[in-house]
Parts: sequence; C-alpha cells; structure tokens
Amino acid sequence: MCTRQLVPLATGLVAALGAFAFVLQPVAQSRQGVDAEMLQQPPAESWPTYHGDYTGRRHSPLTEITPANVHQLTLAWAFQTGQAQPIKASPIFANGIVYLTMPDNAWAVDARTGRQVWKYSYPVNTGFHIGHRGAAVYKDFVYLTTPDAHLVALDAKDGKVRWNVVIADAKKGYWSSNAPLLVRNHLLVGVSGDFDNLPGMLKSIDPETGSTQWTFYSTPPPGTPGSPSGGATGGQMWMTGTYDPQLNLVYVGTGNPTPVLNGPVRPGDNPWTCSIVALDADTGTLAWGFQVSPHDTHDWDASEVPVLVDGAFEGTPRKLLLQASRNGYYFVLDRTTGKALLTTPFAAVNWASGIDKDGRPTPNPAKEPARDGRLVAPNESGGTNYRSPSFDPATGLLIVSAHDGYGTYFFKPEHGAYGWAGADHNVWGKGVLRAIEYQTGKIRWEHELGGEGAAGVLTTASGLTVTGDAAVNVLALRTSDGKTLWHSAIGRVGNGPIAYTLDGRQYIVVGGGGALYAFALPRGPS
Amino acid sequence: MTASLGLLRKLSLAGALVAASCAHTPAAPGTAPTSPQPPRGSSPAAEARPRTVATQTYSAQQAQAGEPLFAAHCGFCHGRDAMGGETGPDLTRSALVAEDVRGDKIGPVVHNGRPEKGMPPLNLSTGDVAAIVAFLHAQKTKAESNQGSRRSVEEGDLQTGDAEAGRRYFEGPGGCSKCHAPSGDLAGVADRLKGLELLQRMLYPSPRSGAGSPATATVTLKSGEIVKGRLAYRDEFTIAVRDGSGTYRSWPASEVTFTVDNPLDAHAAQLAKYTDEDVHNVLAYLQTLHK
Repeated sequence: MCTRQLVPLATGLVAALGAFAFVLQPVAQSRQGVDAEMLQQPPAESWPTYHGDYTGRRHSPLTEITPANVHQLTLAWAFQTGQAQPIKASPIFANGIVYLTMPDNAWAVDARTGRQVWKYSYPVNTGFHIGHRGAAVYKDFVYLTTPDAHLVALDAKDGKVRWNVVIADAKKGYWSSNAPLLVRNHLLVGVSGDFDNLPGMLKSIDPETGSTQWTFYSTPPPGTPGSPSGGATGGQMWMTGTYDPQLNLVYVGTGNPTPVLNGPVRPGDNPWTCSIVALDADTGTLAWGFQVSPHDTHDWDASEVPVLVDGAFEGTPRKLLLQASRNGYYFVLDRTTGKALLTTPFAAVNWASGIDKDGRPTPNPAKEPARDGRLVAPNESGGTNYRSPSFDPATGLLIVSAHDGYGTYFFKPEHGAYGWAGADHNVWGKGVLRAIEYQTGKIRWEHELGGEGAAGVLTTASGLTVTGDAAVNVLALRTSDGKTLWHSAIGRVGNGPIAYTLDGRQYIVVGGGGALYAFALPRGPS
Repeated sequence: MTASLGLLRKLSLAGALVAASCAHTPAAPGTAPTSPQPPRGSSPAAEARPRTVATQTYSAQQAQAGEPLFAAHCGFCHGRDAMGGETGPDLTRSALVAEDVRGDKIGPVVHNGRPEKGMPPLNLSTGDVAAIVAFLHAQKTKAESNQGSRRSVEEGDLQTGDAEAGRRYFEGPGGCSKCHAPSGDLAGVADRLKGLELLQRMLYPSPRSGAGSPATATVTLKSGEIVKGRLAYRDEFTIAVRDGSGTYRSWPASEVTFTVDNPLDAHAAQLAKYTDEDVHNVLAYLQTLHK
C-alpha cells in the first residue's frame, strides 16, 4: 500500500506504486473514506487533513511532477470563491472533493473540475473574521469552526448542518479560525482571543455528537486557586497540532500570554503560554510542556506547527519534534520526553541574552516593552508565523517561511493590565524562505521572497518545494538548493499548497488571492 | 494572538498613517477646512480623531444591524470593531468617515472599492450599506469616548535621549549624514514630525500611502537603450519602472540588466546596529532641528 510513511526508493518502484495506487483508488474513495484508521496512514494520493497527515511535515510522497518536468505545469482548473478576502486556509482533499474554507464559508469542489458541489454559509455574526485555516473531514462529516467560536458539523454530501455547538463564549472575546484535528474518536478544536484576558483552552469534541470529551487549559480556568501561570491568561491554541499514534500524544503550540505587553503584572515564566505541550489524546492530560518563550512580552505565539520527524540526531535514531518558532528560534525536542536537543536562531533576533540549561532562550529584560520604546527583532509578525513549514526527508531540510523584522515595543503602567496593555509598531521586515538542516539548525540555502510576505510550504518526494513569494507568484523550487524552476502569477499565495492524485494525475492546489488554482502536467488531446 | 493579528498591529499603524495623511490634506485657500486639523506632528496613534462634520443620529437597531454586516464584509481588513485590522485602516480615525453624512462618502467607497489600495468593491444592498454606515458612526462615537487608549504613546514618553550624543551618532557611526543634513532635508523636521511618528519615520520612513517606492532603477535593454525611472514593480521575474515621462514599462528580468537604488536600504541595515540608547539619542537630536 502506498502511504505517506513510505519513502519511495527508486523511480521504477515509484512508477509501480503509482499504477498500484491508481487501481486501488476507487476502493479507497468509496469504501475506506476518512476515518481514524485511514488517518494513521493516509494514502499517498490523498490530503485528508490540514497538514496532510499527523506529522505536520506537509510533505507529499507523490512524484509525477518533478524538477525536470515542472516547467510544463499547466492550469487544470480554477475555482473562484467570489469573496473579497484572500484564502488563508489550506484546502483538504478527500473522496474526490476539495474542501475549502473562509470565515463563515465552506465549499466542496469537484477535485477533477473545480466545479462547486455545494457551499455552506454560516449565519451573519459579530465574531472576528480575521481568517480561516481550514476544515476537517471525518466519515461523512465536514467540520467548520466559526468567527463566533462555534463548531459546525456539516453533511459531506450536501453541506447541510448536522449539528452546531458552542466551543467558547464569543461575547467574552473568543473566536476561532482553527482547522480541527481528528485523532481516534476525538476532534480537537482550538480558539483564539487575546484582546481580552481569557484562559487558553483546547477542547476535545465527540466527532459524532458534538459533546465535549475533555478540555485542556494552558492557563488556569476561572476559579482555579493559586496561579500556576503567574497571573497570566492566554496561551490560546489556535493552530492545528500534530499527533504521534505510538505515544498517543498530541502536540500543540500555545499562544502568547495576556495581558500581552504588560510583563510586570504577571511575573515568572507564565506556563504554559508560548509553549509546546504534549497531551494525552484520550484525556487531555499534560504529558510534558516546553516553553519556547518564557515570560513573553512580544506576542510571539509558539503556535507554529510542531513537526514530527523520526530521524537521527547526533548519530542516534530518535523521535524528534521540530519547531521554527515565532520568536525567531529553531527548536529540536525529543518528543517522548520534551527535552530540548537544539536551540538556535533562524531569523533576526535581538531579545535573548542567552540559552538556559533547559534550552530555552533567556529574555533580556532590557528588550521588554518600555515607556520610551525598545527596538526589538523579531517584530510582532515574528520570525515566522502560521504559514506552515515543510520537512523534506530526503534532504533533511525544514523549509520555513522566515521573516527578518524589527518593531518598537512600548509599555507603561497607564496602559493597564487588560488585553493588549501596551503598544507596538512595525518598523521594517522582509520575508525569506530558509532551508534549515534539521540536526544542526544551519541554513543550507535561502531564497529571497522580495519584500514583506510569504506563504506556506509544500515539499514533494520528487524534490520540489512549492510556495509563494511576497508579490503575486506561486513558486516551484528545487528542494536541494532553492533554485526557482517554475512560477505563475496567480495572486498572493496564502497558506500552504497541497498535492493529490486523481485518475492517475498529480495535482498541486494552491490559493492565490480569493481563488483556488489546480496545476497539473498537460495531457494530450482526448 | 493569531497570526494575522500579528500583522494587525503593525498595519493598524499604517492605517493610522493613512488616516493622518487624509486629515492633513490642506483645505483649498479661502475655504473652511472640512475637518479640524489635528495637532501637527503628533504621533498617529495618539493623534486626535477628525471630528464628525455633521451630527447624525441613527437608531440603536440600525447600528446593531450593521455590526454583523461589518464583521462579515469589512472586518477581515478593518477589524471587527472598525478600529484597524490586518490590511485596512482604523475607520474611527478616517477623515472620510468624519466627513460622511448618512453614507454620502462611505457608500461610494463600499460600492466601488479602492482597487489601488487593495479594497475590493462590495456588492451590498442599499439597506445593508446604510446599516454599516450607522455602525461606523456609532463606533466612531464610541472610540471618541474611550479616552486614554491603551495603545497610546505620548511625546513625553520618548524624552530619554541625549541630543549631543545623538548628533555624534548621526554624523559618525550611524552614517545618517551620508544622506541627510540638519540644515537640508531635515531642517525643521522637529516642527513637522513629533513623538511616535518622528521615531517611527526616523527608524524607517515607509513611503506614505500612495507615494510609491522611493527606489529608482536603471534598466539596460538588449538594444542598448537605457531606461531610468522610479521602480514600479519588481519580483524574481519582472522589473517595471515609471520612466521620465511617467509611462509604466516592464520587462522580463532575465531579458535586461538592471540596478536598483533604494535609499531606504540604509535604514533597514541600520536596524541591526542601533542600541536602544542610540535610538533615543538620535531622536533627541532630531527634536532639536527646528526651523
């Protein structure tokens, strides 16, 4: 069976597997569908979740499109959402359908033609419509989180609502843009909200009924005696996590503490904000936590994808977790224990005075927001952000949409202790795609993106990297050295492209502006 | 905070700059200004909002009806509270909103968009636009009553530098004097810009809205023709300039040779070199450059 876990060894084998997958595909589509078992080893031709699979590597095993033929890539179809806003979601592909989301909207699109199969529109609401990451699919359900922090389960056949549950109270300031993660019989849903001092929470929802199974709080829920977080709230888990089925641990990055820029009111490290947490998938119990930014005062959520890699580290095979974090540092952790193996910057940083014995950067108090302002790198956009990186196993490169930027940070007691509680202003920044050697953190190559802006990243087993620049281009690069091999000016690319195979033909699907584009190699007249 | 909110903060400053520059638009001679001038040179975030020109009353229901419409159609750029979002300005500080009377200014912008600024036209019914207008005026009133905004930076907060040390840095290690002169382009800068706005523009003077890039390019074509002009566009594959006549011309980057001179590159390069002390010293020095 051709699966994502399999790394093809030779072209002949790949061709054989491709033919095999082609034969099996209708079976996979009609009988297997997306269920907990399938998600453990998704077929190579599928992209059934936000990250494509549980590892968060955003790496497709498909090899039809190669560095040698990518220059022939042509438009197979385009789907216009008709919305004014850009696509920030990663589409997903399952059952011959591409599912796409924007705030309040979900579409099912025929993956062969780009034709709309159905559209769902959530009722008008006052929630925060900042963006949307994507849907989740399970059996015959499609799930959509909403700007007012509901979770809506739709019928995959026709987009009709099957149930709608409240995840968090939007009146308090919560919203959701989250692409839920299905693990076993749990649908993990995160929320956002740091204009207000709100506990950080992640909920496990029964995917069939919508009932809550457990809630994990990254900062204490209301009524908790004492304050293990040092008085901080926040630590929202608004990005989709990853999962190790053997350890049965879910890995999620947590957001910044609130009040955001007022550090003095919340002394100490403020666990578990700006952290990577490992949770038991069935109970939500914390197995371990690692704080990438102790006592953050710069809005550097550690929400970026915790990428799971089984690979050598200093000569020993290990279960690793890689994160290029918003604070500008790259981390390698042992994902069984949460111990740090490597901490090193991958983008412009000037805020830490060193690395402590546990592998955490030590914040320099002189770079905390101050009355007269401090010039800090990264700026609030971070050394990277929600745009997914990709890990290419063949080269051992984590390819990251990096950002070198500076901002000014202000805080004075008059700013208070609620919500933002301070001021910060961007000064300058630019996007650079960086290929990080996973064992050393060294930058093997970088590719200038031409200004402010960047996109998510896809790598494929044929040695291609697909992403977007700061202008209007989707780019295909050679993974080994970052050289540009193909581009198309489809509009600003948002989150990561995906790849799938249908009818034996490989597609690369990517959002440009408010439209979705599917590229493939040309087919002869038929 | 969400990713995009990361951008929100910085862009809300950009938004404030847009609003500020609108507010600074001088009135034609002999006519009364349509909006009172804000205190000159105050920082954008601390700047007074332009005052609504005509008192208008809307029912609470109208404004309430506009809130979800605004959130759905406008919030992704302007923020759900209209106070600035990821790519759009704070509308409670907008001169256009201040001058609007029952949608006469806002309505056309909603219907036609502002394609040059990335705002798409929105196909909304007259009733929906009216509700959004009511919501915007209500938000503006609300913002005006919310004094002491949690994000303000006052001019007085920034007075920790040493002007003499700043002058030495300006003329020496900062390299500022390679491009700038206190008796030339910076003469009177302390009168034109103050506080946060002066600080931000000292660190990196982003082109004002609509001003375009200050970069120039010299493009040599295969024919040998040399075209010089303002850089209009550049990515890996294409370079474009507005030539001396103002005409837009573009070429495949691989078919020409070119050089780009961006005077702002020196500002970007300096960011990694400044200490916070340098920053405040240079600011103090600039604050002495009165006319």
